[in-house]
Amino acid sequence: MLPTIIVDDDKCPDPLSCRKCLLVCPNYVLGLGTDVPVEKYRETDREHFVVRGVRFEKCTGCMDCVNVCPHDAIRVTFSGGI
Amino acid sequence: MCDWCEKYGDGYERWYFNPANYARRLYKIRREEAESLGAEANPQVAGGMAVVGREFLEAMDRGDEEEVQKMRQQVESASWFTHFGQVVTLEEALRVIDIMYPIALITCACRRSMLGLPDEENFTCMGMGPGMYKWERWPDTYRGGVQFLTPEEAKEVITKLNKRGLVQSLFTFGTPYLGGLCNCDYPGCAAIRTVVDLGIRILWKGHYVAQVDHDLCNGCASCIQRCQFKALSFSGSMNKAYIDQFQCFGCGLCVSECDQEAITLVERASLPALANVW
Repeated sequence: MLPTIIVDDDKCPDPLSCRKCLLVCPNYVLGLGTDVPVEKYRETDREHFVVRGVRFEKCTGCMDCVNVCPHDAIRVTFSGGI
Repeated sequence: MCDWCEKYGDGYERWYFNPANYARRLYKIRREEAESLGAEANPQVAGGMAVVGREFLEAMDRGDEEEVQKMRQQVESASWFTHFGQVVTLEEALRVIDIMYPIALITCACRRSMLGLPDEENFTCMGMGPGMYKWERWPDTYRGGVQFLTPEEAKEVITKLNKRGLVQSLFTFGTPYLGGLCNCDYPGCAAIRTVVDLGIRILWKGHYVAQVDHDLCNGCASCIQRCQFKALSFSGSMNKAYIDQFQCFGCGLCVSECDQEAITLVERASLPALANVW
């Protein structure tokens, strides 16, 4: 069973510095990426980093990421409930 | 025989001992990277957050083997054309350092993507060849900068990382141009995860297979934590290490940990049933 993982980017201002959810996940389900393509001659600004569900097949639904988020930005749901 | 040695070996014992595969001429003809299946649905990530999208995982989840196999082949053929890796032993990695130049320490895109590791804690990847000279043009691809190493320094770093439990693997950037000497582990490496968790071969097994001599193994179990490929386990009933040789990637990490010399690497090609298991 795969979860739906929704991250509210507006509530998650700087995941590159925070990264609490990435570190707490027992199965490294989440990924850190950018919402803009890589550009020549410049480093991507921190505000363009976003967290997404990636390895959904390894999510157990423990909700540790939901609980660790200081901004209440992550929602994890399974179609069967929870 | 290894397909890549056959195609790009040009008489050398291994394709990655052929200096031409590190040459600028090849680097110049790097192809545009094809978008992998479903991965465009994910946000852009330096190094790639994932090579497959959710539809692959959904097909796996509903047990649609036919669809999974079809998608797997699509992703594999795209990756073999542009960007894939092969596991090498420490000795092979050290030999590679002698045949190409320059080599530089860079940050690992996988671990940044999975753990958000700060750059200063994340210098575990190595870039090789002319690509290293263009890093300033693509600061985000080489986030944290590039630290050029002498061959001796590079060998020292690789040896230390191997000691720490990281597997060496060589990656193409526009096959057969070899531009990455990665130091990988499970679960932090996206390539190892993709091949071990999803069965998509964007990382090929190496040219060796580890074998346990049960007479020499004293059951100390110190090798167990070394395996990054879920090939090594401990048999409680026998009090011995057990290696699933069909799952073994031949990196040699378990070999170097065993002080009884109970584990050896044998040539994959010498085992008929494994000679074509990559």
